[in-house]
Amino acid sequence: MSETGKFTEDILNNARANAERIVREAENETQRASDEARIAIVREADAIVRNARAEADAVKRREISEARHRSKLREQQEKDKIVQEVLDEARKRTFAMVADEAKYLPLLVRLIENGVRELGDENAMVHLSKSDLARVGSSLEQRISKSLGQVKVEWSKEPIEAIGGVIISSLDGKIRIVNTLDQIFDALEPKLLIEARISLFGE
Amino acid sequence: MSGIETVKVIVDAEKQAAKLIEDATIKASAIRKSLDSIVQNQRQQMLAEAKKEAAGTAARAEEEGRLEAEQNETKFKEKLQSLVAKASARKEATVEKLVMLTMRAE
Repeated sequence: MSETGKFTEDILNNARANAERIVREAENETQRASDEARIAIVREADAIVRNARAEADAVKRREISEARHRSKLREQQEKDKIVQEVLDEARKRTFAMVADEAKYLPLLVRLIENGVRELGDENAMVHLSKSDLARVGSSLEQRISKSLGQVKVEWSKEPIEAIGGVIISSLDGKIRIVNTLDQIFDALEPKLLIEARISLFGE
Repeated sequence: MSGIETVKVIVDAEKQAAKLIEDATIKASAIRKSLDSIVQNQRQQMLAEAKKEAAGTAARAEEEGRLEAEQNETKFKEKLQSLVAKASARKEATVEKLVMLTMRAE
C-alpha cells in the first residue's frame, strides 16, 4: 500500500473508532439511565403491591371482626331473650303462688312482720289486696299481733291494687312500706337477672 | 499519483471520516432520545402489572374475609344452638330458683 493509502486508511480507522465510541457511550449512558429508572419504577410498583396487601389485610380483618361482632351481638340478644322468658315465667309463678295458701300465707306473714318492724312505729296500718282481705282471718291477725309485741296493728278494710303482699303504713299514711309482690319482684329484678345468667349460661 | 490526486484522495478520506462521525452522532442522539419512551413504556408496563397484582390481592383478601366470615357464622350457629339447648335444659330449674329467691326476699 502506498503512503497515501496508509494515511487515508488511518484517517478512516480513527473515524470509525470515534464513531463506535460515540455510539457506545450513548448506549452505555442510556443503559445506566434506564437501569436507574427501572430501580425507581420497581420501588413504585412494590409500593403499590405492598399498599394493596396492607389494605387487603385491613379489609379482611375488618370483615372478620365485624362478623364476630355481629355474632356476639346476636348471641347476647339470644341470651337476653332467654333470660327475659325465664324472668317472666318466674314472675308469673310467683304471682300464681298467691293461690297456694300453704306457700303464700307464711310469706305474707313474714312480709307483714318485716314491714311493721321496718316502719319502726308504735302503730301500724296493714293494707292487703282484696283476695287477701277475704282470707286473712282473726287467728292470723292475732298471731301477727302477738309476734310484733308492743306494736299496735290495725287492718285497713280498703283493699290495695296488688296481686299479693302488703303495704304497711303509719296511721296518718305519711310513711309507707311497700312489700307487694310486684314491688318485691321489681326490686329484685337486677339480682334475679344476674342469678338467671349464672344459672342458664354460667356467666 | 500526482500531488493534486494525493490531496484529493486525502480530502475524500476526511469527508468519509466526517460522515462516519456525523452518522454516529446522529445515532447516539437517537439512542438518547429513545430513553424517555423506553422508560415510559417500562414504567407503564410495570405499574400496570403491579396494579393488576394489587387488584388480585384485594379480591383474594375480600374472598378470604368472606369465607372466614361464613365459617364464623357456621360455627356461631352451632354454638348458639348448643347454648340455647343447654339453657333450655336449665330453664325450669332457673325459674324455680328465681321464685325461691323472691319468696325469701326480706
